[in-house]
Amino acid sequence: MQSPHTSEAELARPFPPDLHDVRHLWLKAGLLLAWALVSFGAMYFARDLESLVVGSWPLGYWIAAQGGLLVFIAIVVVYCWAMNRFERQDAQRAAAAAQVPPALDAAAPRFHG
Amino acid sequence: MAERDPAGSGSQAYLWRLHRILALYVLGVLGFLLLMTWAESQGLSRHWIGPIFLFLSVMVYAGIGVYGRTTDAEEYYVAGRRIPPMYNGMAAAADWMSAASFISLSGALYLQGFSGTPGHAGGLAYLLGWTGGFCLVAILVAPHLRAMGLYTVPDFFHVRFGGRWPRIIAALAAVVCSFIYVVAQIYGVGLIASRLTGVQFEIGIMLGLGGVLLCSFLGGMRAITWTQVAQYVVVLLAFLIPVSWLAYKQLGNPVAPFMYGKQVGKIADLEAQLLASPAEYQVVAAYLERARDFEARLQNVEIALVEERVAIQDKIRRLRAQNADVGLIVTASRELAALPRDVETARERWTRQMHENYERAQPLGGLPPHSRAYAGYPDGTPEEQQSYTETRRNFLALMFCLMVGTAGLPHLLTRYYTSPTVAGARSSVAWSLFFIALLYLSAPALAVLVKFEVMNNLVGSSFDALPNWMAQWARVDASLLSIEDMNGDGIVQFGEIRLGADLIMLATPELGGLPYVVSGLVAAGGLAAALSTADGLLLTISNALVRDLYFQSKPRPATPEQRVILTKFTLLAVALMAAFVAALKPSDILPLVTASFSLAGSAFVPVMVLGIFWRGTTRQGAVAGMLCGLGVAMYYMLSHVPGLRAVLPPWLLADGLWFGIQPISAGVFGVPAGALSAWLVSWLTRPAPPRPVIRSEL
Repeated sequence: MQSPHTSEAELARPFPPDLHDVRHLWLKAGLLLAWALVSFGAMYFARDLESLVVGSWPLGYWIAAQGGLLVFIAIVVVYCWAMNRFERQDAQRAAAAAQVPPALDAAAPRFHG
Repeated sequence: MAERDPAGSGSQAYLWRLHRILALYVLGVLGFLLLMTWAESQGLSRHWIGPIFLFLSVMVYAGIGVYGRTTDAEEYYVAGRRIPPMYNGMAAAADWMSAASFISLSGALYLQGFSGTPGHAGGLAYLLGWTGGFCLVAILVAPHLRAMGLYTVPDFFHVRFGGRWPRIIAALAAVVCSFIYVVAQIYGVGLIASRLTGVQFEIGIMLGLGGVLLCSFLGGMRAITWTQVAQYVVVLLAFLIPVSWLAYKQLGNPVAPFMYGKQVGKIADLEAQLLASPAEYQVVAAYLERARDFEARLQNVEIALVEERVAIQDKIRRLRAQNADVGLIVTASRELAALPRDVETARERWTRQMHENYERAQPLGGLPPHSRAYAGYPDGTPEEQQSYTETRRNFLALMFCLMVGTAGLPHLLTRYYTSPTVAGARSSVAWSLFFIALLYLSAPALAVLVKFEVMNNLVGSSFDALPNWMAQWARVDASLLSIEDMNGDGIVQFGEIRLGADLIMLATPELGGLPYVVSGLVAAGGLAAALSTADGLLLTISNALVRDLYFQSKPRPATPEQRVILTKFTLLAVALMAAFVAALKPSDILPLVTASFSLAGSAFVPVMVLGIFWRGTTRQGAVAGMLCGLGVAMYYMLSHVPGLRAVLPPWLLADGLWFGIQPISAGVFGVPAGALSAWLVSWLTRPAPPRPVIRSEL
């Protein structure tokens, strides 16, 4: 039971998460696919990639030791950049909607993530 | 470092002041290093350098802790939610890189090569697992949690699902996995402190613990954040300086991560040479003989023990009769005293020694070829094929557990609560990964460079000219380093050296012939890595115990200040308990940490991700998912603990390995079990759809 005088008393009942924007979900799915490919996909075939030598590196070893890590950074950075962009667009659209008649602006739900 | 001002929060001026303080701090650390190098060249004794590094670094962290002291709840739990993303990333990186990353990772890469041995997956799976998990954190978890404005991870389960049980189970799971993790950290602290100051392991633990407590005890999240930023700088310098030095020495270029490809090829050549060397085969034969000797003794332990005792007594008598050197007699009497006292200890010790010797009686001392992925061959004999598929499967399983565990470890997730906005939480994750990568890109380079150094320089040198540090480390713990002239030719063979995983990073500077100051710095870095993680973990545990269990179970009248004070004392108690467990030396650092990842991944991630992305997850589903995930993972792990196997009836335990997956990767079963049961129970307990309105006018 919740004590009524705690600061989070208003949070005591569960709430379902906000609906997720479809664009966000596609972005997430795409990036997770890239993540799975470079980690599980590439590592599954690591022995076959070994015979390819790029520079002085066997490719399988290089992906495991460095390439994978660099791709992970790229994934996280792309995610940040794309989400910030989506949020800016949403904010612009909300600002534009605020100027047109009020009947339309109810269509801008709160997204995050 | 310790400057912060609520009024300047978010503003450019605040950020610039932080940058300036950071720059001054880095310069200070570098200046101190130069000063110590100068002092060493002027004849400062090695007995002083180690303790000076330990003491001063702990004092700096403690100073920041004292400066950041607070009893304000918002400050104590989430650092006032105004840490700029870059600093949050640094703190998260320090929080993340534990003793396991700093001390053991390079060692594990050295010993396990690409993917580890058939019975023991590892190697680059650690590297990929510990970094790839951040993609999951960034995309699936952290921003969503930050958007909810919470204080702890169990808060999420409370807010999302309501009721008592989701929160209580989440809090207990957080305590279990963080406690296992913190034990490993404190073990690392003890290791470093005992080497550097020469005190006993147990006293070393207590010394390090004092440092942890000073900052987390006083200042909570706020102090810890800034301490971790300071610690990150030390960790990074302590890692990069020896690596760059070795790279410069071997390759003529200090940028190790881009240059070490050449050495990978050279190591493959050296390995081929070693595999063809007759002296190495003599070593293997000698170990095999010794292992067989132990095996023979184990046939009849009682008689063997008596024979052994008689033989040594005879030897002493003979030596006395010949008036031999006193040293020889003393050694023989020591041998007599070291004999096992009873049959039970004799059997246990000899069994262990037999296994050890069998392990070492393999080409390359049992180490896999460095850059070859997986053991065995895909188109060899059936055994080789099986060994290939099993090492590959275990590699992928371990990677999966570490990645998912990353997304579930409470002490990391709470870090992202401290960022000012949701966008800030996203970029904090990116910064963390960047700062972690700075070190992780160098870790495989270090392993390769050290291996080359050992194969090229140490192997083939004479036993009379062994460097000093080897004896010193062997004295700390024989399992860390052992070297013995097995074939009696007076020359070091690769098979005769055995380095422990936890030793390699700490001994790198000495191995590469760097000034002793660098050894001090490396030890300070290891200490910083262990302390920073231990800080975050202890805070997580005590928050879970106090906020999520004690104050949620019953309404209790307490002001926020009283809660914070109670949290502080719980933290003290937990820290002492962890130190006690660590003093028992339960296991190496890496297996402990991996187990904790498996547990965290199974308990939290399936339910958390379902809860965030599927509106249909119900409270019952969440409870079932967490219990099931945690239960399956723990069951599989505990079923393979030898101590429990002996005590519990066999029908209660898991029947052998499932799909050949090793117990530390139990998350592979826990995560799907958790997701499946959460989904199934949510579906069974779904609320009835809203009834259509019955028209009453009929």
